[in-house]
Amino acid sequence: MNLYSRMVIVLTSVGLLSGSFLATVGMLTKERIALNIQQEIEEAIAHVIPGTVSSEKLYEEKGLTIYGGKDKDGSLVGFGILASGVGFQDKIALMLGTNTSLTRTKKLKIIEQKETPGLGAKIEDDDAFLIFWENKDCSDSLSLRKPAANTPEELAPMEINTITGATISSESVLKIVNSSLERVRELIKEGTFQIGEQDVN
Amino acid sequence: MSTRSIGQEFTKGLWDENPVFRQLLGLCPTLAVTGWVINGLAMALATTFVLIFSSLVISSIKKLIPAQVRIATFIVVIASFVTIADLFLKAFFYPISEALGPYVPLIVVNCIILGRQEAFSSKNSVGRSFIDALGMSSGFILALLILSSIREILGAGTFLGHQVMGPWFEPWIIMILPPGAFLALGILLGLALHIESKTKSRK
Repeated sequence: MNLYSRMVIVLTSVGLLSGSFLATVGMLTKERIALNIQQEIEEAIAHVIPGTVSSEKLYEEKGLTIYGGKDKDGSLVGFGILASGVGFQDKIALMLGTNTSLTRTKKLKIIEQKETPGLGAKIEDDDAFLIFWENKDCSDSLSLRKPAANTPEELAPMEINTITGATISSESVLKIVNSSLERVRELIKEGTFQIGEQDVN
Repeated sequence: MSTRSIGQEFTKGLWDENPVFRQLLGLCPTLAVTGWVINGLAMALATTFVLIFSSLVISSIKKLIPAQVRIATFIVVIASFVTIADLFLKAFFYPISEALGPYVPLIVVNCIILGRQEAFSSKNSVGRSFIDALGMSSGFILALLILSSIREILGAGTFLGHQVMGPWFEPWIIMILPPGAFLALGILLGLALHIESKTKSRK
């Protein structure tokens, strides 16, 4: 056999073999990987909308997904807004829980972030940051309190606390929340997404 | 063909030819993921899996591969095992896979793996290649473990997530940031060279 045909045969068969091997492994793990991702999202929804037993995806576009959280009777208890944007270091993905009329926040959870450890990474910390996001008036854009307040009570209804030393990370989270809420309000205006008319069964 | 004894074939990877401290190979994952011990360990184990299986496959088909396409063949084999490692982590160790991010797929271009295929597995028997891969992997695990322990203990005061430093300890955050990787690796490399020169002069 000449060299050229040997080269082609060896490369092709190695490629085919590993391709089919990978297809098998891919098929075997596909379900579990999808389950892991779904589980992470479901846990996040249950966390940001307290009282949620089951959830349902209501709307999806690039960088924004809206979930509806339902209690054990099947009635809607709130919306979970999964959004992402650019942080100080890398992408930040978060889930915001709101009430059914989208006027009050419930809780915020950071799903993914690679901010500076010890500073920006505090956006994941309940006491340092996330507690200040609970039960806020989100009928319009929220703003940042700087310098930071010490307790949630000191903040105005539409004000969010800054993390001292990590203004950019705090601002990034605020920007993601504000722009995603704005987009949701836009969708409602357009009629693409409706609130208060969800299936209640 | 290698002329070492089987024992030497294994132990050379631990010190004399340690991939990180002596050959300075595979430094990208070494620097990138060693901020936390758990991430360093997961990366080292994933690399071990890829290295051992690639060496086994390459050494068993070495006679069939024409020299002109050997590198391409090595890469296809390595990439296949890397993809398997990536899928496995995603399916069974989801949080770790999230933390390691793009560095698992990047094992494909880790020079240790391609280097061992080119320098060893393509010239030696299956058994010897297995021992060589095992030794090199152990050396890599050792290096990543030392580096990530130093970085996590100094940078966060913890080891594998458990608090090891007292409340008096103020974490050196820089150690878990990228510069900390260079600082720690630089000091370790200096130390390795120092030990090497000491043992040489004694001989």
